[in-house]
Amino acid sequence: MDEGNSIIYGLEHQTRALSPQYGENDAIRFLIGTQSLKPNANQVHVVELEEDTGALHTKVFKHDVGEIWYLRCSPHDAATLMTTHNSYDPATSQCTMGVSILKLPTVEVIPKDLEDLSAIQGRNAEDMTLLKTLSPEKPEEVLRCAEWHPTDESRISIVCENIVSIRDIETGASVVSASPEGRAHLKYTNGKWNPHQGQCQFAALQDTHVKCYDTRSDSTKPVWSVDSAHSQLARDLDFNPNRQFQLATVGDDAALNIWDFRKGKEPIFTRTDHSHWVWTVRYNTYHEQLLLTGSSDARALLTAAASVCRDLSDDGEKRSDTLEDGVLQSYEQHEDSVYCAEWSAADPWTFASLSYDGRLVLSRVPRHFKYKILL
Amino acid sequence: MRSDFQIMQEEMNKLSENMGKITRFSAEISESLKESGTNVSRLCSTRQLLDKLQFLFLLPTQLSNAIKDGRYTDAVRDYARAQRVLQRYGNQPSFQSIQTECEEIISDLKKTLRDRLFSSVTTASELAESVGLLQQLQESDSSLEEMFLTCAESRLEQHLQTLTSLIDKCDILEWVEKCNSMLLNDLGIIVSCYHEMFANQNNELPEFAESIMSQLFHLFESVLKTPDNVGTEIYIRGLDKFFRKLQAMTDIISSESMSNRSVEIVVQCIFHKALIQSKSVQLQFKENLTRIRQSLASKGTESIDLKEILNSLQVYLIEKVQASLLDLMAFLQNSLSFGLKSWCAKTVSDACWKIISETMINLSELVKKLVGPQTSNNIPFELLLILAKLCLEMQDSGVTTLHSHLLKLLDESAPGFKADNKDTNEIMVHLATAAQAALDTEVVYIGQTAAQMLRVSVLARDWLRAPEPRGPRAVCRRVVETLTSADAAAAQLFPSGVKQSSDSSRRTLWPRIPSSFSPISRIFSERIEVFSPAGADRAALSTGALKVALKALVECVRLRTFGRHGLQQLQVDVHFLQQRLSCIGNDERLLNALLEDALASAQLRCVDPQLMEPSKLKEGVTFDRVLYSIQNSESDNNTRPRSYCWIVRIHNIVQDFNNNCATKFHHNDAINNKLWVQEMNKLDTDSPVLYYKEQKARSDKLDADDLVVHFAH
Repeated sequence: MDEGNSIIYGLEHQTRALSPQYGENDAIRFLIGTQSLKPNANQVHVVELEEDTGALHTKVFKHDVGEIWYLRCSPHDAATLMTTHNSYDPATSQCTMGVSILKLPTVEVIPKDLEDLSAIQGRNAEDMTLLKTLSPEKPEEVLRCAEWHPTDESRISIVCENIVSIRDIETGASVVSASPEGRAHLKYTNGKWNPHQGQCQFAALQDTHVKCYDTRSDSTKPVWSVDSAHSQLARDLDFNPNRQFQLATVGDDAALNIWDFRKGKEPIFTRTDHSHWVWTVRYNTYHEQLLLTGSSDARALLTAAASVCRDLSDDGEKRSDTLEDGVLQSYEQHEDSVYCAEWSAADPWTFASLSYDGRLVLSRVPRHFKYKILL
Repeated sequence: MRSDFQIMQEEMNKLSENMGKITRFSAEISESLKESGTNVSRLCSTRQLLDKLQFLFLLPTQLSNAIKDGRYTDAVRDYARAQRVLQRYGNQPSFQSIQTECEEIISDLKKTLRDRLFSSVTTASELAESVGLLQQLQESDSSLEEMFLTCAESRLEQHLQTLTSLIDKCDILEWVEKCNSMLLNDLGIIVSCYHEMFANQNNELPEFAESIMSQLFHLFESVLKTPDNVGTEIYIRGLDKFFRKLQAMTDIISSESMSNRSVEIVVQCIFHKALIQSKSVQLQFKENLTRIRQSLASKGTESIDLKEILNSLQVYLIEKVQASLLDLMAFLQNSLSFGLKSWCAKTVSDACWKIISETMINLSELVKKLVGPQTSNNIPFELLLILAKLCLEMQDSGVTTLHSHLLKLLDESAPGFKADNKDTNEIMVHLATAAQAALDTEVVYIGQTAAQMLRVSVLARDWLRAPEPRGPRAVCRRVVETLTSADAAAAQLFPSGVKQSSDSSRRTLWPRIPSSFSPISRIFSERIEVFSPAGADRAALSTGALKVALKALVECVRLRTFGRHGLQQLQVDVHFLQQRLSCIGNDERLLNALLEDALASAQLRCVDPQLMEPSKLKEGVTFDRVLYSIQNSESDNNTRPRSYCWIVRIHNIVQDFNNNCATKFHHNDAINNKLWVQEMNKLDTDSPVLYYKEQKARSDKLDADDLVVHFAH
């Protein structure tokens, strides 16, 4: 794996939900949610990469509340996760979506003894504890995603097509919400908490725009916005973990744009390296110049945006020769659209990408780039 | 003999005696005449003296007369003659009065001359004369030179001002004539006079002349720039006059920098003219383009001959450039003072090349700007095609045509001149990238238009509770229309490439069964690059748009949940798209792969994944009268390999038939088909034909008008 080879893990179902285990600092773990309309067929796979041996260990849990569209592990507790799911009721021939908070019985994946091993080899999906299910206000509402508040354990945000709401986990009640303005009623597609500004801002993608709302006020007017961030639909966004005014967006125009939202007319960085819609973008938590994107051209790209992450003040000269902007590496092991790509929460150099056909590819930043960044 | 000698001796003695006598007499005579000779000479000298005295006495009157008549030169000459005498004998009382009188007159004269120097009405020659006279009157040189220079300068400044005010009032020819007659003439006189008078002190062209000249050049430059409407002919004549005069001036002034400047100004003129020409070409081209754009935007539904528009645009551009080149050739006329110079030929050749390259680069920039991210939405795609083709044509032949045309023109106008080879690489790269950008934009534009239709229609529909399909949705027809009209437009301009494969053509799409919807099957199919550079031929363009549209369909289908009827509706849609789109593009495998993907994705996203019976598809695709029921009978036939039903309209079968079999059996299509089937049936078990129904033949399941040929795969 260190020599640029990736480790591949295959699932039987279609997948479009992936999350690193945020609460875990040591083990490289990813959680995958499957997407199948067959009743009781959905699972959550916990995949752990054993760093020393390069071996892959997995555990499978049943997810009977429906197919998983979105999955986030809790940043507060490694064993807790939240899924955005959809289920079909043949009786009413209707689909219902919801957000469920679940708890894994154990975070351990690597078998400790033979008994453990045989249990895993039996491939029996284990049960998770369902802590809470939140339903949309209107049953027909299409949910896009649900995100944990970065620090406040009792708060989550739910992005529906027509409403963005902050919910209290205990009561399930909506604390604040925002709806699309204007006559066009452009639908929301995605959203993220702003890790800066006291974690009280939630940015949602609405068609081609980025709208950021202040969660302390019940105003539907965004505190800031980046209008027409993409020429086509915007699909995903991520905030720079270190620079409080920078965020990256991707969309159907195959572009990766980085914005300074204080002056959001033109992107400060833009690349069009994918050959189809880009579905996901993630900043590396430790090295903000590394960005991971996944696209329906069946590729994950590792891109450097060093030029916009340079400190001019102190050691500008020293860092000027680190990385050149552009694609560092293209990961072509996928054969279907890559809808998810995530950095590991434990190791800054490991990441996973997941394609629709159920293939998880674990890769590592090539060593020479790593040294360039570190040295 | 002796006596003879004696006689001779005596004779000689007598002769010498006589000679002595003659000498004596002549001396006596001259002695007597000497006195009267002296008298005569004294008389003469007295006469001369008297003449001189008379001249002196008359001098004051003559001087004042001469001055009164304005014959300053005579006066000064007379005074100079008398001056020496007057100086010597000035102390004698009789001359003293004359001298004072003369001096008074002369100082008056000096004053007049000086006044004349500073007066504005005096001409330059008068000025020179005055200074010359003053010099003869022994004014000190340094003060005189200073005076002369200030006067000359002020005079020339005045001329410059007049000329400046004239810039807007008259054309270049008039201005140059005025300039030549006023400023340059005076300058010539002043400079030559200056050299004559102060030659021993300073051989350089005085500084002020330099500054005047540079001001003049500046003026001339602004003259060149102001009246843009002046025709080339008059412009060149003006320039010619100016240049001639300057050349003449260089003989007088003999300044290196000035002759350089005059060459420079001609070079500048040529480039200026070239700039104007290339600007006007660009402007007119832009106008032309706007006109075409409007006509394309307002065309409605009727088709437009794009080839004709392209041709007119291309011919127009080439002709405009050629006309500009010809226009510049006027600088090389033999009659012009600079026309035959080799530097001029080189400049003209450079300027012409500049026109060509600038026009081409402007064209590319214009195209690139048009297809840029901001403006691409409202440009008719036909225009993109035309511009792309125009760039390609220019790259292919246009630039070379223009270059050879230029060489021809140069050869005619400057026969001896050898033009150096121009580097066309940069232009070619510009044109190629512009063409590529236009093509890419066109493909994405068409693809996105269709993709947008599909996306909206897929996302807006409730697939879960969809009613049973009755036919392809209207959006499919619109998508087909969009793609085929773009294909038709591309066909007008871009040659058709070779159709890649038709082995799998027009088979019924059947989604890969879920087990085969796995990485394994995809390993063998090529990765599909959706937004990839578009090739410059019709099929590649259409395939490009097709990819963008259908990949969007796949992705959107995956975001929805389908009921049984929803899935079947999509099946009908996909079937319809396959039928209608298989004729465009060059890669049917790709089309089928994408459509299969869409159908397979829908099947995965279906809560009750039951595909429609193939026989029922015909009800969905009524206008095609598809006949599928045959497939049912086929399933009994276990000896046959898995087969595909070929759904064909009558004209299609002929086409396929001709593809598969080079010979033609009968001119009548129907009989032809029958013959071919019979031929095939001779092959017995190897025959690809499973079932054949002739037109008009009766069958309980089939309509009489239908013709079905069923092949084994």
